[in-house]
Amino acid sequence: MELLLELVITFAAVIGFGIIFSVPKRALLLGGGIGVITWFVLQTGIAFGASSVFSTLLASLSAATIAHLLAKKIRIPVTTLSIPGILPLVPGSRAYFTMLSFVEGDYIQGLEYGVETMLQAGAIAGGLVLALSIFSFGKGIGNRYEAGH
Amino acid sequence: MQAADEVMDMCLLAGEIMLKYGAETYRVEETLERMARASGFTNVHCFTTTTGIFLSFEERKGKEDLMQMVRIDDRMQDLNKVTEVNQVSREFTAGELTVGAAHERLLQIHKTPIHYPIWLIHLAAGVAGSGFSYLFGGRLVDLLPAYIAAVLASVTLVEFERYLKVRFAAEMAAAFIGGSVAIFLVYAGVGSSVDQIIIGSLMPLVPGVQLTNAVRDLLSGDLLAGMSRGVEALLTSLSIASGIALTISLFL
Repeated sequence: MELLLELVITFAAVIGFGIIFSVPKRALLLGGGIGVITWFVLQTGIAFGASSVFSTLLASLSAATIAHLLAKKIRIPVTTLSIPGILPLVPGSRAYFTMLSFVEGDYIQGLEYGVETMLQAGAIAGGLVLALSIFSFGKGIGNRYEAGH
Repeated sequence: MQAADEVMDMCLLAGEIMLKYGAETYRVEETLERMARASGFTNVHCFTTTTGIFLSFEERKGKEDLMQMVRIDDRMQDLNKVTEVNQVSREFTAGELTVGAAHERLLQIHKTPIHYPIWLIHLAAGVAGSGFSYLFGGRLVDLLPAYIAAVLASVTLVEFERYLKVRFAAEMAAAFIGGSVAIFLVYAGVGSSVDQIIIGSLMPLVPGVQLTNAVRDLLSGDLLAGMSRGVEALLTSLSIASGIALTISLFL
């Protein structure tokens, strides 16, 4: 029940972000849908006992994959879908607590939160990269040892 | 073969709109190269960084190459314009548009104001902010104060950017106002968890588009553009952080 409420709120919040970034109308609801799926994957991963970084990676990968597929289908730049999709993963609360600890002079705690923030941001990037490499399969631009020629 | 001058103008206008309103560097380069090739020119090269575009191509063999550049001064997010330019380039490459018609449509895209009215953007910032304050562990009573704080932060950002040349100062002011309003509302008895409300009110300021584009640019090999975009996003985050640090050390 709580998850359902969270999903509804995610949908509204992602659409709000879509309007801030001026995502075109036909992609707005799709972006919200991708955001909901992202949040669902993240929460499911954590519920199954995976670490938050790994769950973030999975969620980011699924968001980017869906964004690539849909973008091809409705002929739209993939950023308009992938940005709303990965927004629910942004480690805003970790970043805030990092800063709070540093302001209060608790540097060790701040570093701990800071590393967590970086890892989570890295996981988002990693998911995007994985999806990108799946969808650019076969379009290699060159090999390090020219073995491909 | 079309007039090289017209094609150059059209291509650079398309690139300028895309880069200014938040397209990735690789998309700008690819679009310009495709459009120039579709008009029948050879030896097409495009080099794009976060702040400028160079485009060169050969009009005909034996004649010197044509090369021009545009400088991009300010950058903002309007993904709708990127999508529309993408559509124009698709139709142009498929041969459905002449150079003149494409130029006309690009000028129109450039002129149209932002896709959504500004009040809707402020309200949307409120919805996004309050939504995220709940998702980050807030409670339902925090929705209203987070909404108010996020709307005020968004209004501050837009109004300051109108008059200030330094964008990062506007972001810092917006973070300061958002955080102060959040703390004030909690003192006044509206809402319970001050941390979650502050985070929520700051979320609409987070440079999401720049960060994603920086990763994409770095991965596709545009190291220069990726680094500069990443630094831009980092500076934005730092100015938000310093704005909120000021609030906390003053009021908390």
